[in-house]
Amino acid sequence: MAGKKRDRGLDERLDRLGREVLRASAANEDAADALDAQPFLYARVRSRIAAERERREEGERWLPLLGIVWRAVPAMAMVAVFAFVLFWSTSMGTLSAGNLSGESLLGTRDAGIEQVVFADNQPLSSDEVLATILNEDEQGVSR
Amino acid sequence: MGEMADNSDSVNVQGSAAQSTAEPSDLELVARVRGGDDVAFEELFNRHRRRVSLIASRFFRQHEQVEEVVQESFTKAYFALGDFSNAQEASFAAWLARIAFNSCYDELRRLKRRPESSLSNISEEESAWIKDQLRAEGPGADVLTTAIARDLAGKLLSRLSPEDRMVLVMLDAEGLSVSEIAKINNWSSSKVKVRAHRARVSLRRVLERFL
Repeated sequence: MAGKKRDRGLDERLDRLGREVLRASAANEDAADALDAQPFLYARVRSRIAAERERREEGERWLPLLGIVWRAVPAMAMVAVFAFVLFWSTSMGTLSAGNLSGESLLGTRDAGIEQVVFADNQPLSSDEVLATILNEDEQGVSR
Repeated sequence: MGEMADNSDSVNVQGSAAQSTAEPSDLELVARVRGGDDVAFEELFNRHRRRVSLIASRFFRQHEQVEEVVQESFTKAYFALGDFSNAQEASFAAWLARIAFNSCYDELRRLKRRPESSLSNISEEESAWIKDQLRAEGPGADVLTTAIARDLAGKLLSRLSPEDRMVLVMLDAEGLSVSEIAKINNWSSSKVKVRAHRARVSLRRVLERFL
């Protein structure tokens, strides 16, 4: 209890000194007076305003370019995505077309099989076969 | 509201005097500046430079720092004149005071980011002075008049955060009310009260080190 009382008393003294320190710090009218007496203060403010205006105009010059970049980045991203999708769909199309061909199904290139496949695709009549054989025989005789 | 009220009174006095001598009011000058009249801005500057200097001198002891705040405040005001609305603000003087306080706050934060200067080191003599003041039971009447106290005050307050210092100077040196501080800083009243309490505790801790 006695400790609390002592602490409260100390706190009050610290607060009082704190307020006085603040007032002492704030009682600085000399600096304001000195500044008030300066003749070229407005000229310095004007030059600062001019510098700030220049800085802002500089920033405004970059602004349209930033706007273009801001719009160009998503557009370029979309083009890239579109190109990728196009490439992907093309390669997938080639693969699926290859899957349907006889050559891909059978896996190896073979003349006999080619003929079978050809025969399957375009069946020859017996007359055509006979004509082909006779034609070959005639060519053999002529040689 | 201390000086701000005094200042608005002086503005009113100026306003009434303006009617007799045909001096333009602050609002008329603001309208003219918006129209591109730089002479009108010079007139506004001459009317309010003293008030802005006084606000800055509450926070900064060095002449260069006070001038920096004055320049910054008027530059900000020049570019923000388009946003000034007499309906929202009490007066041009109050609006400018708000800008000045914010400039002080920015400057305090900028200084806080710098490494601690040797000036903030408290000498043996100053330390002894604080102890004497703490031992004294009655009010330290000579604090304001003692030269040592002024330098020491700046050093002690530099150990507080910018927010703490801002609130304490506004409350104890400027004599602003909680609602006025809340309006200037765009804070809620409860935030001002909490901040003021914390600031007092911080200042107490700073002083306690010398016991």
